[in-house]
Amino acid sequence: MTAQFLTPEELALLSLVQNELVPSYGDLPPAGTLGAALTVDAYLAEQPRLRRPVLTTLRAIEVRAGKTPFAELDSGRRVEVLRKLENADPESFSELVKQTYNAYYTRPDVQASLGIDGPPQPMGFKLPAFDESRLARVRAMGKLWRDA
Amino acid sequence: MAAPELDSDVLIVGSGASGAAAAWSLSRRGLRVTCLEQGRWVDPSDYAHSRPDYELARQTSFAKDPNVRSWAEDYPINNSGTPIHPLMVNAVGGSTVHWSGHFPRMRPSDFRVKTLDGVADDWPFTYWDLEPFYDLNDSMVGVSGLAGDPGNPPRSPRQTPPLAFDAGCEAYLRGLEKLGWHWWPSDNALISEPFGDNRSPCNCCGPCDIGCPIGAMSSAHVTYWPKALAQGVQLITHARVEQITVDRAGRATGALYYDEQGVRQSHSAGVVVMAANGVGTPRLLLNSTSALYPNGLANNSGIVGAYLMFHPVALVSGVFEEAVNGQRGPIGGLMNCQEFYETDVSRGFVRGFELQLSRNVGPLSVANGGILGYPVPWGNGHHEALRSRYAHTMTTSVMLEDLPERQNRVTLDSELTDAHGIPAPRVEYRLGKNTQRMLEFGIARARDLFEAAEAVEILVDPLVRESGWHLMGTCRMGNDPDTSVINGWGQAHECPNLFVIDGSTFTTSAAVNPTSTIQAIALRCADWLGRNYREVVE
Ligand SMILES: Cc1cc2nc3c(=O)[nH]c(=O)nc-3n(C[C@H](O)[C@H](O)[C@H](O)COP(=O)(O)OP(=O)(O)OC[C@H]3O[C@@H](n4cnc5c(N)ncnc54)[C@H](O)[C@@H]3O)c2cc1C
Ligand code: SF4
Repeated sequence: MTAQFLTPEELALLSLVQNELVPSYGDLPPAGTLGAALTVDAYLAEQPRLRRPVLTTLRAIEVRAGKTPFAELDSGRRVEVLRKLENADPESFSELVKQTYNAYYTRPDVQASLGIDGPPQPMGFKLPAFDESRLARVRAMGKLWRDA
Repeated sequence: MAAPELDSDVLIVGSGASGAAAAWSLSRRGLRVTCLEQGRWVDPSDYAHSRPDYELARQTSFAKDPNVRSWAEDYPINNSGTPIHPLMVNAVGGSTVHWSGHFPRMRPSDFRVKTLDGVADDWPFTYWDLEPFYDLNDSMVGVSGLAGDPGNPPRSPRQTPPLAFDAGCEAYLRGLEKLGWHWWPSDNALISEPFGDNRSPCNCCGPCDIGCPIGAMSSAHVTYWPKALAQGVQLITHARVEQITVDRAGRATGALYYDEQGVRQSHSAGVVVMAANGVGTPRLLLNSTSALYPNGLANNSGIVGAYLMFHPVALVSGVFEEAVNGQRGPIGGLMNCQEFYETDVSRGFVRGFELQLSRNVGPLSVANGGILGYPVPWGNGHHEALRSRYAHTMTTSVMLEDLPERQNRVTLDSELTDAHGIPAPRVEYRLGKNTQRMLEFGIARARDLFEAAEAVEILVDPLVRESGWHLMGTCRMGNDPDTSVINGWGQAHECPNLFVIDGSTFTTSAAVNPTSTIQAIALRCADWLGRNYREVVE
């Protein structure tokens, strides 16, 4: 699948960033490898208000990375760059993080890793019935309201 | 009946909690009722609950802040002057289309604040005057809960039993029992067993705040509207009212509105009933200027829009070692604790608050900060942090009584307008001293509760910005025309065939969610208007 909004370079960079934001867990690859960049790309295509913070952050990354491209840094150095960026422009950076979480946690495979076996409906959940006996102490408190 | 040349006997503006109840009540008496609603019917396919990305709806199509949601039917609100943002839904059913359905009643003392505690004003009627309408409303909408709470006057049996008692309740109970505090399973405007037509009982799916796709939640579009329409009420959707019109004698004659095609229309009626909520109603009255009402309709007193009350809310979350699965079951009303509800001046403030012991949200919302806005950190350790919170967190609201203050108000913005060019509301609000002291005290008690419940981490949002769920007081009731807009029947002091029946009627706010009271007031006012219609229009 190709991006609808981002350039191929931006998409690749976003994917690398996302791998640092949400690393692998057990059998689950990190967010970028899982394809979260393409999902964020779709959000950007649909919601123009997201473009500025995400693009601002992506552009600032290569500036912060300096002479060595971000892609050639090791993970520790990438995280350093991202932390600096976060401190410099927390608002834009947090939007990028939020959209990455949006893309990652809406995936059924990620949800399955948290024990979720489907969306809330139509199955819902079966919870135990209310047990009135638990109210014995409170019932014995007597009238607690003021008449007026 | 009004003169036959009029379009309707009664014109209601707004189809939400109060407008729906009044439409049903008035049409039952054979009156010709029309309701103008700027929104549309929410389409069943709009609900996101069956999709894996359902939690995104909180940020987009079902966001509770209309400025964020930005449906075509929404109007913008200038929030720059308030730390609390007004929240609402503009659709058939109004703000009950996606809400939490927590449905407590006010207590008798809430109606006598001046007499008992020497602050604010007494209401022009008592709890006992309203009680039959609370009962009627419950029987119409369907409430789950349990009668017998010693914190409140006895009440009629609830229509369906309380929902469930799961691990989260056990965690709360651990704390409550240690502290010896009051608690009771909440009354909720949702059905736990079959009730009503075309509605399914709650299956505890969780995210009620993005609507209920199966009709379990007792929202006005599934409770009153089908019955009101069957009784012949005309509901015109996509009808955005611009102003209430008046004749030379200063009586309301109907409304001007924009229809779905954006064409300006007029509608005449013998009586106009405002049900556009605590922001929408003062906005429209202020925009309805004329020679007799240069400051807005029924506003020669200058009170329309003033005395805005929210329920300022602090949220306190407890993270538990064991799984409490707060994402399962209706998010809002679970249990409430009214240990600190009545005045005790030794606490340093008057009036009181309730602790609403609620549930929590799914993994995406937890990652993005949960109900409190504490995002899970990114990078190494992200997964562990997420897993320690998700399914392990319960959240309590400290919901307190907000005293009415004149400078807290809704006005018309001088520049901002909606899509039709109608001035948008501007909200100016600040927290009073009593409120600030009560918030601090309430947060400390919520901490006590979570500590006693053995939470391993406690998170606090001391004043939630997106907590303007309850919009009250901006056309307040009272017997004195200098300090109130309407009398105890909702009738405007200055304009006898204009009525207000929504959240703006509240004289004081109490410390509980308002909608059961809003609907009981709407039914009481509509009942009186129905019985006295002839005298009102003559
Ligand atoms: C997210 C959320 C959660 C909530 N949870 C709870 C809860 O648990 N318990 C509780 O008691 N309350 C809760 N509330 C509040 C509750 O929804 C309101 O108290 C209640 O709906 C108010 O009723 P109302 O009739 O005053 O106005 P609304 O229900 O808001 O209805 C007003 C209607 O008027 C229409 N309108 C406004 N202006 C115009 C115009 N110019 N022309 C035409 N139509 C117009 C609007 O479109 C709307 O449909 C919640 C609210 C929100 C937003
Ligand atoms: S938890 Fe119950 S009331 Fe809430 S949305 Fe799900 S089914 Fe509806």
